[in-house]
Amino acid sequence: MSLRVLDPGIQCTVQAAARDGLRHAGVPACGPADPVSMALANRLVGKPVAAPCLEITFGPACFRFESRTQIALTGARATARVGGVERPFHTTISLKAGDMLELGPASAGARIYLAVSGDLPADPFLGSASTYLPAGFGGHEGRALRKGDHLRIASMDGLPQLETPHALRLPVSASYALRAVEGPDWPPGTHRLTNAVYRVTPRLSRMGAEIDGDFPSFPDAGPKPSAAVFPGTLQVTPQGRGFLLLPDGQTTGGYRHLLQVIRADRHLMGQLRPGDSLRFLMCTQDQAEAALRAKQVLLETWMPDFRL
Amino acid sequence: MRQGAYHIIPCGDDALRILCGDGDIRYQIARQLGSCDAWPEIIPGKSDLTVAFDPHMETMDAAIDRVREALLAGVGVSTHIPRRIELEARFGGGEGPDLAAMAERLGESETRVIEAIEASQLHVDMLGFTPGFAYLAGLGPALISERLRHPRARVAAGSIGLITGQIGLYALDGPGGWPIIGRVTTSLFNRLDADPFLLRPGDEVVILRSAAA
Repeated sequence: MSLRVLDPGIQCTVQAAARDGLRHAGVPACGPADPVSMALANRLVGKPVAAPCLEITFGPACFRFESRTQIALTGARATARVGGVERPFHTTISLKAGDMLELGPASAGARIYLAVSGDLPADPFLGSASTYLPAGFGGHEGRALRKGDHLRIASMDGLPQLETPHALRLPVSASYALRAVEGPDWPPGTHRLTNAVYRVTPRLSRMGAEIDGDFPSFPDAGPKPSAAVFPGTLQVTPQGRGFLLLPDGQTTGGYRHLLQVIRADRHLMGQLRPGDSLRFLMCTQDQAEAALRAKQVLLETWMPDFRL
Repeated sequence: MRQGAYHIIPCGDDALRILCGDGDIRYQIARQLGSCDAWPEIIPGKSDLTVAFDPHMETMDAAIDRVREALLAGVGVSTHIPRRIELEARFGGGEGPDLAAMAERLGESETRVIEAIEASQLHVDMLGFTPGFAYLAGLGPALISERLRHPRARVAAGSIGLITGQIGLYALDGPGGWPIIGRVTTSLFNRLDADPFLLRPGDEVVILRSAAA
């Protein structure tokens, strides 16, 4: 059984669990940019939520399956066709040997997740099979998939036909509101961020997204000592540009850490694309805790092994 | 200052920051927290220590209390002696393409620059930027050097970068913006180890010319 990459699109990588516990050594989280969508895809093919999946950026992309298998698609909004017939996201899809899956370009959102019922091969490295492109490790030979790549996957079908419950299909749009708490460098007395609208620029990768807009100014503009940063950290440069860090982002930084997107909402960052508008809804620690609990409870009803 | 008295601030909704200054205390606290409790991440910065906690298990306030208790329990002079690591290196040539220009700019011979590095008592200030990249402090201010105007897309593992006051060691191949003056022959990375990077924050480091060079 195997999967052949006919067109990987702009970027297609194998992602699995986050690479935790090594940030003191400069190793970033890695893993899916949108872990909720990846978990939902795995759920539909009976896999653990962090089993290796393909993360497809934007599309279009095309794959051929060389024996019977079952797959599932989640994430960005795009059309999927098998043998020319449109197939829905968020359901278990059964394929015959030789079926070709064609994904159109994403019309909203940035990343599509493709889960397959048989195990996807991936190199475990530093506790995770996720690809980390800058250092070339994990996933498939530490690199993005290329046209002609051939992934051997265990044959596996006969799974029940599942559908993601509608309450768990998170909306993908061109406009996001991310809840955030004040970061360590938040200028005291600042309030205006709450109503400001920001925009995602074309400088976007798995490491981070550049954000355009009106950020508060800092009384002392010079560099500050490098300190830990995380996925969800919004850094502001002395020139007033914002950088929102994603899973492959660096582990320490010397720019102003203005705010931190709360844990409950970080999965949404994985669907940001150039031109999307963005608002930051500032909240308290108590509100962040409540938001995490509420979303966790909702996701757990369908995916007991998932942790935001 | 007593350890329990450090200012602790939130860093997002699932991490906190101990403002403990730029001394060895960062590594002492990191070891102390690492040994007594399970924290998902303990990350030394240049002048602080950031600790991640699991917000599914405890609140920010509870995590801060737990850190304070650990600090109070561990007050006192650390008995830990920093590890001392000697690294062998080859300088200049293809492995240190920026050494010649740096020496010329400083008005020194390459040998004098190398000797100044060998004589430096360095220590690992922190790791970061890319996996295993080690910032070594303790280089005298005389070796003036700035980041490259055009960063290299690929710098070989083991490369020794130098900017004024600091050495940067690249544990893995990767992009890099520091002038490269040599390469250590000791492997900084072993992919089979649980913590695969040789250097850890707080280690004392001496870099010496390889006998084979």
